[in-house]
Amino acid sequence: MELTFQKICKSFGEKRVLQDVNFTAESGKAFGLLGRNGAGKTTSIRILMNVFPADSGEVLLDGKPIRRDVGTFGYLPEERGLYPKKIILDQLTYFAELKGMRRKDAVKAIDYWLERLGMTEHRNKRLDTLSKGNQQKIQLITALTHDPQIIILDEPFSGLDPVNAMLLKDVVKEEIARGKIVLFSSHQMNYIEEFCDSIAILNGGKVVLSGGLHEIKRSYPRDRLVVRSEQREAIENAFGDRCVPTEDGTLLLTMDSPADKPAVMRRLAEEFDVDGVGVFEPSLNDIFVSYAGEQV
Amino acid sequence: MKQFRKIFRFEFLNLLTKKVFIGVTLLLILAIVGVTFYPRIASLFESDEQTQGGGAMPILLVVSPTEEDMPLVRETFSGAFPGYHICVQTERPEEAQMETILTDGLTEGIFVLEDWTSYTYYVGNKGMYDTRAEIADEVLRTLYRVRAMTDGGLSAEEAQTILSTQVTHKTVTLWKDQLQNYFYTYIMVFALYMAILLYGQIVATNVASEKSSRAMELLVTSADPVSMMFGKVLASCLAGLSQLAAVFGAALICFRVNASYWGDNPIIGMFFDIPAWLLGYMLVFFVLGFLFFAFLYGAVGSTVSKMEDVNTAVMPITMLFIVAFVVVISALGSGVVDGTIMRICSFLPFTSPMAMFARIAMSMVPVWEIALSLAILAVSVVGVGVLSAKIYRVGVLLYGTRPKMRELIKAIRNA
Repeated sequence: MELTFQKICKSFGEKRVLQDVNFTAESGKAFGLLGRNGAGKTTSIRILMNVFPADSGEVLLDGKPIRRDVGTFGYLPEERGLYPKKIILDQLTYFAELKGMRRKDAVKAIDYWLERLGMTEHRNKRLDTLSKGNQQKIQLITALTHDPQIIILDEPFSGLDPVNAMLLKDVVKEEIARGKIVLFSSHQMNYIEEFCDSIAILNGGKVVLSGGLHEIKRSYPRDRLVVRSEQREAIENAFGDRCVPTEDGTLLLTMDSPADKPAVMRRLAEEFDVDGVGVFEPSLNDIFVSYAGEQV
Repeated sequence: MKQFRKIFRFEFLNLLTKKVFIGVTLLLILAIVGVTFYPRIASLFESDEQTQGGGAMPILLVVSPTEEDMPLVRETFSGAFPGYHICVQTERPEEAQMETILTDGLTEGIFVLEDWTSYTYYVGNKGMYDTRAEIADEVLRTLYRVRAMTDGGLSAEEAQTILSTQVTHKTVTLWKDQLQNYFYTYIMVFALYMAILLYGQIVATNVASEKSSRAMELLVTSADPVSMMFGKVLASCLAGLSQLAAVFGAALICFRVNASYWGDNPIIGMFFDIPAWLLGYMLVFFVLGFLFFAFLYGAVGSTVSKMEDVNTAVMPITMLFIVAFVVVISALGSGVVDGTIMRICSFLPFTSPMAMFARIAMSMVPVWEIALSLAILAVSVVGVGVLSAKIYRVGVLLYGTRPKMRELIKAIRNA
C-alpha cells in the first residue's frame, strides 16, 4: 500500500496552513511527519482523516482517492483524552464499536491488547484511577483494537517512561512488520531516527524536505570524517584548521574532497593511535534544525 | 445508522446510570408519594383526635342586640356556619376581654351585632381565605329582608320562599373548558420547561466535558458528527421522557391508590382526566421542542473548552427560553391564549412548543395553524440539528478563548 498526499492546500480564513503538500508513505515502513509547532502536521492528519476537507489536492491510497471507511484509521491524538469517569473496558468497547467492530470481537481484541501492554488488571477500573503513562497505553489501544490499515501516532512517546517507551517501540515494530502504514509525528528526533525509513519536514505549511532518511543523509557532502582518538591534541596540531573538536569528545576533520578519504584514513592509522574513523553523517536533529529552524 | 445506534445506546445508558439522574427521579417520586399519601396519613391522626377529644367543633360567639332575637340569631347563624358551634349572648364583652377569649382559644371569632345592618367582627389572625364576614353579611341581609317583608304583611314562610328562589342553569361547552384544561396545561407546560432546562444543561455539559477531556479529538475522527449529535440529543430526549413517565406514572398510581382519601378534589380529578388526543399533542410538541433546544445547547457546549464556561455560554439560550415560558404562562393565566403575541409565538420554533400547545389545550385552533406550526418546528429541528453537528465538528479546532459568533461562522464555512 502507498499513501500519497498530492498537492494538498488548506487555508483557515486568510491564513494558509498547508501549501502544496506532497509526500508518500508506504506500508511496511514507518513514515515521520516532522515540523515545528504550527507547521501544519495536525492539519495534515485531520485532512487525512477527513475531519475537514482540503481546499484542493487529493489524498490517494495506491493511486486512487482514499476511501475513508470507519475502520481505516487508528489514531493516537497528541492531545490525549478519553472519558475519565468511565470503566476502561466499556469505553474501549464503545470506540471499537464505533469503528465498526462487533461487540464480541471488540472485547476479544481489547483483552489481547490489555494483556500485550500489561494492563489486564486495570480492565474494570475507571480511567482516571490510572497514572498518566498507563492512560496513554489505554489510549493507544483505541488506535489499535480494530486492526486499522493506517496507524497515525501523534507524539506517541511523550509522557512514557523508558520501559513503556520500549514496549511501545516493540508494538509499533510489530505493526510495521505486519504491513501497516505507520505515520509518526514527533519532535523527539531520536525516536523518528530509530523507526522511520522516510520523512517529510513541514515548515510554514510547505514540505521543505522529504524522502528516504538514508538517502537524505547520504545526500549531504561526505567530505568530513569523525575521528575517535586519545591523541586529540597531536591530531589537531598535525591537521591545523581542518580539525575541530566536537562536544562529545571526537574530532571533525574536513577533507578537500571525498576522494581524499583513503589517503587521510591511511595517514591517521599510520601516524596516530586511532580508536575509530568514519564518514560524518548529519543526525536527523541536525537536518531538522537546518530545514525547520527558520520559520518560513 | 449503525454508529448512531451505538452512540445512542452508549449515551442513554450513560445518562440512566448517572447518580444525579437517579437521585432526581427518586426525589420527585418520593415527593409525589408524600403528597398523594398525605390525606391518608392525616386521616389516621384525625380519627385519633376525634376519639380522644370527642370531636369538639370550633366555637363562634355572637352578641345579639336584644334578648328576644337570640333564638333567631342562633338559628340563622347555625344554618350559615354548619361546621361551627354558635354561642349567642346579649352581654357585650370588653375589648380586653375579647382578646383573652380569642387567645385562650375559647372561640375562633366574635360577631358583635349593633343592629340588623351593622356589626363588628373580631378575629385573632384573619386567615387569607377567611370568608366569615362575607357569610355574616349575607345572613344579616337575609334577616333584614325577611323582617322587612313580614313587616309589609307577608308571612315569614312566604318571605323565605321568595328569598330562597333558585335559578337553575346548564352550560354547554362547544370547544374547550378553559378552567378545566388550565391545570393540566399549566403542569404540562411547566414539565416541558423543567425538562428542557435540565436536559439542555446536561447535553451542553456532556459535550463540553468531551471537549475539555479531549475525548472529542478521538470522537470526531471515529464517528460522523451528525450521528454523534443526534445520538446524544435523542438519547437525552428519551432519558427525559422516561423520567417524566416514571414521575407521572408514579403520580397516577399513587393517586389511584389513595383516590378515596382525595374525595372529589376537582383539581386532581381534572388533572388525571387529560384527553388522549391532548397527550398526543403534548408528546409531539415535547419531543420537537426538546430536540430543538437540546441541539442548541449541544452546539453551544461544543464551543467552550472549559467546563466552568458552560453556564455563561448557555445563558442566552436559557434567557430566551425563560422569556418564552413567562409569555406563555402569563397568557395562560389571563385566559387570553389567542392574542397577537401568542399567535406569533405559536409559530416561532423557540416558543411554539409551549405556546401552540397551550393554545391547542385552551382554545379552538384551526388545523392549518397547528400543521404549519408543527412543520416549521420540525424543519427547524432538522436544521438546528445539522448545524449543531457542524459546530460540534469544528469545535475540536476551537480551543482557548470562546469563539465569537463571526469566528464560529467562519470556522464552519472553512471546514
